[in-house]
Amino acid sequence: MSTTDTLRATRRRRGLRSVTVTTALAAVAAGLFVFTMMAGSMRLTATEVVMSVLHLRTDPSVDFVVLGLRLPTALTGLTVGLALGASGTIFQQLLRNPLASPDFVGITSGAGLAAITGIVLLHLGGLWISGLALAGALVAATIMYLLAWRDGVSGYRFILIGIGVAVFLDGLIGYMLTRAQLFEARQAMHWLTGSVGQADTHELQLLSYALLVLLPLAVLLQRQLRALELGDDTARALGTRTEASRAALLAVAVILVALAVAVAGPIVFVALIAGPVANRLLGPAAGGIAAAALTGAALLLTADLVAVHLMPTPLPTGVVTGAVGAPYLLWLLATTNRRGAGG
Amino acid sequence: MSRLRAEGLTLGYDQRAVVSDLDVNVLDGRVTAIVGANACGKSTLLRGLARLLPPRAGTVYLDDRPVTALSTLDVAKVLGLLPQSPVAPDGITVADLVSRGRYPHQGWFRRWTGDDHDAVTRALDATGTAALIDRPIRQLSGGQRQRVWVAMALAQETDLLLLDEPTTFLDIAHQVELLRLLRRLNAESGKTIVVVLHDLNLACRFCDHVIAMADGRIVAEGPPTEVVTAELVEKVFGLTCVVVPDPVAGTPMVVPAAD
Ligand SMILES: Nc1ncnc2c1ncn2[C@@H]1O[C@H](COP(=O)(O)OP(=O)(O)OP(=O)(O)O)[C@@H](O)[C@H]1O
Ligand SMILES: [Mg+2]
Repeated sequence: MSTTDTLRATRRRRGLRSVTVTTALAAVAAGLFVFTMMAGSMRLTATEVVMSVLHLRTDPSVDFVVLGLRLPTALTGLTVGLALGASGTIFQQLLRNPLASPDFVGITSGAGLAAITGIVLLHLGGLWISGLALAGALVAATIMYLLAWRDGVSGYRFILIGIGVAVFLDGLIGYMLTRAQLFEARQAMHWLTGSVGQADTHELQLLSYALLVLLPLAVLLQRQLRALELGDDTARALGTRTEASRAALLAVAVILVALAVAVAGPIVFVALIAGPVANRLLGPAAGGIAAAALTGAALLLTADLVAVHLMPTPLPTGVVTGAVGAPYLLWLLATTNRRGAGG
Repeated sequence: MSRLRAEGLTLGYDQRAVVSDLDVNVLDGRVTAIVGANACGKSTLLRGLARLLPPRAGTVYLDDRPVTALSTLDVAKVLGLLPQSPVAPDGITVADLVSRGRYPHQGWFRRWTGDDHDAVTRALDATGTAALIDRPIRQLSGGQRQRVWVAMALAQETDLLLLDEPTTFLDIAHQVELLRLLRRLNAESGKTIVVVLHDLNLACRFCDHVIAMADGRIVAEGPPTEVVTAELVEKVFGLTCVVVPDPVAGTPMVVPAAD
């Protein structure tokens, strides 16, 4: 077969794989989204749920359960999952390291510290806590960027500084907890575990609208991301404005993770795992941001179903993602350096 | 005439100047070799010429306009650069990597076209990497990988091409093959090529023009037969040697002296 045919076949295979996997992931995420609203003490059929959500049929008792109770949780799972998945894969590709998810480079910790300070010292609650979390994440990201900025942001440096910042902030969180009264300490611990059940409607709305803008933007920026992956020199030689592109991608990723943390608390490991899982599925088309976002949503919705329905008593979602994520992290640490990709 | 030239160019990192007050004219339609000892500033010069490193002083001109006044994208359409040690993302395949060379010719919404397809096909064929098309880069040998990177730079289809040590990792046959490829590209499409080489004999044999650097300065430049002499090699590399004519082409050939 001639080169031109082989190339065409290869590219077609890759494109097909990308479309198939992304579509399948979208179907799975949508399925889980609906299923989340079917399960519970009042079992509902998929038709009932969909009819109610789309306002096609009015049945007060079904509407109460679906629209009033379950839709917010399901929507939180979906949007937070999408945001974490997209944000995680952007960080990992930008910093060329599978460990570089926002939970490891201090951004989630920044959000956590701000929120806990609000709970413990200022006795705040509700939307205030989310606002603080958002601000904390943005401040942590800015500090990180400034600290790591020297002749541009190099990936390895960014991660090391990030881990340092994360450890420092986690220490401060621990200190805050020792200062807390019993009631606030409980509240703080609950927030820190992260749960899709704790979302507030306003925050949820904010996250949903932000996703409508930021996800398409992230998919558009994928092109720049693919160039940046080749290293700064090559990217620039190919005509990328490296600093501007990187800043735009980081901004999108940070805002996504900040909003997600503001809505659901620091749900760990979803951002870390979504990208690599999606890449496994995508094979030669690895790196797709849309696929990683959908994987994040599917993972988080599954984790929430497990946490709420399969456990003897309902647990915060973060407990389940933590239980799945920790072994993965250990495996990653054990294999990364062997593959020589540790940085 | 030189489409790419530099005047009074000073380049450096942090506080230290690595290349100072350099004037270079890259001869159009020729193959130029840059030679010099390790750390003398060859890669730095190439990065400066390709607008990857902003000058401390002086100016690089591309088509008579200062490169700093051009956008990276405009530079990338006429000037390609293969860095000395490029990094490949995890799991990327040959087809994907070479295709990324088309970046400057694509846009936000204008993605893959017939031109892109043809350019990538030509680059794969020219470098003999077509058979590797589906393989992940990480699974290739050093030499195969090097040829894939060259293919990516070729797919960019620029009039000027700067290559930083493209022959490292290649066996002698593949080194010669790569240099013949560069000559052919130069002959067929008049591409201007600048290549950093460590093998003086190959540089003399395959290049029209040699630029010898030492300590961030140009110590000699011109056609290989005029430039590459025993004194120059002594001065640039600190190696005593005899220079004899290459038995095949008659170009200078450096033979280390007996110790
Ligand atoms: N990114 C950098 N930051 C700081 N110093 C650098 C950087 N890159 C190169 N240098 C320094 O600049 C000097 C010239 O380096 P350069 O890479 O240009 O050498 P070279 O001639 O290409 O050498 P080689 O033959 O080993 O590739 C060296 O002393 C090197 O330490
Ligand atoms: Mg070099």
